Amino acid sequence: MIKAIMVFNNHGKPRLTSFYDYITEELQQQIIKETFHLVSKRDDNVCNFLEGGSLIGGSDYKLIYRHYATLYFVFCVDSSESELGILDLIQVFVETLDKCFENVCELDLIFHVDKVHYILNELVMGGMVLETNMNEIFTRIEEQNKLERQEAGISAAPARAVSAVKNMNISQQIKDIKLPDLPQAIKDLKF
Amino acid sequence: MPAARGDGMRGLAVFISDIRNCKSKEAEIKRINKELANIRSKFKGDKTLDGYQKKKYVCKLLFIFLLGHDIDFGHMEAVNLLSSNKYTEKQIGYLFISVLVNTNSDLIRLIIQSIKNDLTSRNPVHVNLALQCIANIGSKDMAESFSTDIPRLLVSGETIDVVKQSAALCLLRLFRTHPEIIPSGEWTSRIIHLLNDQHMGVVTAASSLIEALVKRSPDEYKGCVSLAVSRLSRIVTSSYTDLQDYTYYFVPAPWLSVKLLRLLQNYPPPEDPGVRGRLNECLETILNKAQEPPKSKKVQHSNAKNAVLFEAISLIIHSDSEPNLLVRACNQLGQFLSHRETNLRYLALESMCLLATSEFSHEAVKKHQETVINALKTERDVSVRQRAVDLLYAMCDRSNAEEIVQEMLNYLETADYSIREEMVLKVAILAEKYATDYSWYVDVILNLIRIAGDHVSEEVWYRVIQIVVNREDVQGYAAKTVFEALQAPACHENMVKVGGYILGEFGNLIAGDSRSSPSVQFRLLHSKYHLCSVATRALLLSTYIKFVNLFPEIKTQIQDVFRQDSNIRSADAELQQRASEYLKLSVVASTDVLATVLEEMPPFPERDSSILAILKKKKPGRVVEPLDVPAGKEGAPAPTPPTISAPTAQQQNGQTDLLVDVLGDIYTASQSQSGSATTNVGSIGASLGGKTANSLTQNNLISAPILEPVDNLKKLVFKNNGVLFENDLLQIGVKAEYRVNLGRMTLFYGNKTAFPMLGFTPSIHCGSDLAPKLSVQVKPVDSTVEAGAQAQQLVNIECIEDFIEYPNLVVTFLYNNVQQKLNLKLPVTINKFFEASDMNGETFFARWKNLGGAQQETQRIFKATQPMDTSATGSKLSGFGMHLLKGIDPNPDNFVCAAILHTRSQQIGCLLRLEPNKQAQMYRLTIRASKESVSKQTSELLGDSF
Repeated sequence: MIKAIMVFNNHGKPRLTSFYDYITEELQQQIIKETFHLVSKRDDNVCNFLEGGSLIGGSDYKLIYRHYATLYFVFCVDSSESELGILDLIQVFVETLDKCFENVCELDLIFHVDKVHYILNELVMGGMVLETNMNEIFTRIEEQNKLERQEAGISAAPARAVSAVKNMNISQQIKDIKLPDLPQAIKDLKF
Repeated sequence: MPAARGDGMRGLAVFISDIRNCKSKEAEIKRINKELANIRSKFKGDKTLDGYQKKKYVCKLLFIFLLGHDIDFGHMEAVNLLSSNKYTEKQIGYLFISVLVNTNSDLIRLIIQSIKNDLTSRNPVHVNLALQCIANIGSKDMAESFSTDIPRLLVSGETIDVVKQSAALCLLRLFRTHPEIIPSGEWTSRIIHLLNDQHMGVVTAASSLIEALVKRSPDEYKGCVSLAVSRLSRIVTSSYTDLQDYTYYFVPAPWLSVKLLRLLQNYPPPEDPGVRGRLNECLETILNKAQEPPKSKKVQHSNAKNAVLFEAISLIIHSDSEPNLLVRACNQLGQFLSHRETNLRYLALESMCLLATSEFSHEAVKKHQETVINALKTERDVSVRQRAVDLLYAMCDRSNAEEIVQEMLNYLETADYSIREEMVLKVAILAEKYATDYSWYVDVILNLIRIAGDHVSEEVWYRVIQIVVNREDVQGYAAKTVFEALQAPACHENMVKVGGYILGEFGNLIAGDSRSSPSVQFRLLHSKYHLCSVATRALLLSTYIKFVNLFPEIKTQIQDVFRQDSNIRSADAELQQRASEYLKLSVVASTDVLATVLEEMPPFPERDSSILAILKKKKPGRVVEPLDVPAGKEGAPAPTPPTISAPTAQQQNGQTDLLVDVLGDIYTASQSQSGSATTNVGSIGASLGGKTANSLTQNNLISAPILEPVDNLKKLVFKNNGVLFENDLLQIGVKAEYRVNLGRMTLFYGNKTAFPMLGFTPSIHCGSDLAPKLSVQVKPVDSTVEAGAQAQQLVNIECIEDFIEYPNLVVTFLYNNVQQKLNLKLPVTINKFFEASDMNGETFFARWKNLGGAQQETQRIFKATQPMDTSATGSKLSGFGMHLLKGIDPNPDNFVCAAILHTRSQQIGCLLRLEPNKQAQMYRLTIRASKESVSKQTSELLGDSF
């Protein structure tokens, strides 16, 4: 079973967390910190598995992670999961994000945290792998988007017009921040 | 427009940008608090918030939560969103609840109501949202509320695949919190048949569910084996185009294959030869595919392919029945050991650890020893090195122990601190288990202390002392080595402790050499004294007084040390007491007295190493027991091992001096005598009612039970046959018959070890009080009990007068040249001479009244120590030897019993009444007998048995 999924950046700032056993909010934050501490000090070429930190259950659990440019994707799993299988699952998750966001980067995760959760919900449910077929996942997300567009079309058309104009500023702002581009980094890793 | 970006919420984007632009943590917190206040007032005041606004604020709260801030409001608004008829609002409501609502929330009732509505929705997207929410929260309330809806969704023919898939995992989650949710019977086969579903996603989800159910009731779900095998076979033999989207980088359905292979690991190899053949074909195909050139250079391809391969290897190891596959698996893992991918090296080491415990492949694994040692030296990653240590530990046996231990010691010098303690334990265990030459063992442990003293726990250094004390041949060497080790300028405190103890006991053995003369030894130890902790100093003071006895010539030097203010007036009470008492002792006592008081320590009783227990505690479930000899698993189907020769015979010759590895002995004994040892020892128990036979045989098979000595004296008050005592070496069984005032008892002494017990003398005698009251005649037994054999001893007993004490049973024997002595009691008590006597109510009460004198009655009120079960109590009383008189006490809950005690000269009537009080969990026990001492003793014997 997958006990937790954590995505944080190179500075340990959480971008997505999902705990599949109930854990208090305070402990969640400590676990994220501990995990970041464990994972971030590892070189890039070492193996992708390590024993869990003491807060999350120690050696009964494994951390399986991948590092993409600015982000760490960490899955904490028990002994019933295949390590390589989970490693591939992380890859499916990232590729799906990439497909849904068209060249995903850290900012997408920040500004669309809800969307990222919806995508993850199609992939993992209650700590178990739900679906691994990328096309299938993408189709489901598309269905949701269609619903969203329909609903927005009915009620929010005027508001959308206004926000579209104002939004121009924001996208300017986002461009100013300039973070390393994620897909570029993925290409560097040569999959 | 990208699929996911959609139309953002402007307010949200602005807020996030604000936060990101904050220059300091304080500014960020300030901005967040401002926003929280804003949202709170919006939620409170503005009743006209529309869905969009609510959604926006809830999103902001989620973002704030992710940054690590507590969110203590907004839950109600989120719950309201659940009943919105807009999908997006509903969706964000569910998201907030999944992330932020815990299982005990007050809102859970409201949430459950909304979920109920959505579950019946005609729109599958809504149903799925509800299922996701249940699976992510998975509370007990939910399990109870949806115990019928979800199983129905899962097996209904009308449910579409997407929903079915979610329902399977949802059910799994609820099953974990509330196992009763899954009804058995009719559901079982319908759930199993999901493995045949056309949709691969449904099958993947279902196999996760089925695996959990299989773990609960393997027999009920047995039918899944053949279905899983045929599904697996279809996947494995398909080409990568057949499964279309479920082919991942040219590997057909890797996740499902992994799940199915895992599922099969819950069962032994299939019995049906057809299914078994098919499964073996699948496994072979997977192994063959591993040798094919990769279809893609991408790492995903290799990951997916190897995920399946590793799982197949796990299944092969689990089945442990196909030597051919095991050897292939081992070779495959061997290739991975030097693969350029670190992940594969890691996994190969991990899987090989399991392989090393199989008798078929243990030797094959050993071929890779060099590679593994090399991994320990060269791997850059501590996770991988840790696995290498685990594997070395698992592959260690008598033939390679010295080399492996040496390599582990070498590595320990530079090992990461995080794994040192575990390594120390492992080295200590291996050195002890496989020592044939105990000077080697001493060297290893002293090296451990030298290299990693901080990580050497007390158990480890206690153990080396126990072994040195018990083994004469190594004492001189130990004294010499520890003396040399102490000469290092900085040596670890643990070394001082071991040195202090060993020199105190055996310093005389090296005192002849002028380089280690008594005063040199003393000065050396004392030079460390002031740097040590109080506990060590106390130990050293004891060493010094032992020196006074061993080396009278340095007595005055030592007395000076005792007299020092820092000792005799030490602030520490323990040091002060030792210094003054030892000083006095050295002054007053004559040499004879000194020699008696400070005599060499007697050998320690044999016991199992406690170190292994610590290691197990540290790593539950992760400790793979090193194989002793390529030990067979008795009872397992054993096709002849193909290539692996077992050098059992010569190994056994070399192990006559096995001191501590008691369990290893059992292993080899039962092997070499093709199980005869097991049956012999087991037969003691078997002849006594079979119960213990099982436990004993099990002890032989389980690799290392920590067997506490068992003393069943108390239990045998209530029955005549059973095991009286049991430890690692010896089992003593009792079988007895009593008639009137006479008894005949047979004692069975079972030698559980692989070595004969010499000078075996069990003697029975009665204390001076008991001797006139009980006559005991004992037949002698043979002085040797062969390995695995048992000796019988006949005892005749006569009760002359009522008595209180137990006869003593002292068993002495020589095991491994070490004198063993057991002090036990024989289960002979007055109630053994009871004759149960039946009578009607009238007679009983007449006699009861007759025995009404204060001297004749003993009454006690006590708390129940066992569950107050009527039938158990009744049978206990019958076992005690009294007749349980039914239906004569006006209160049906009470027990009344009667018996007559027979002695040589008189018969003593004895009546009992036991009144339970279930509310208070108390008993009142009244015993009346015509003799005061009998009623007292009877009450005593019944003690706290209820």
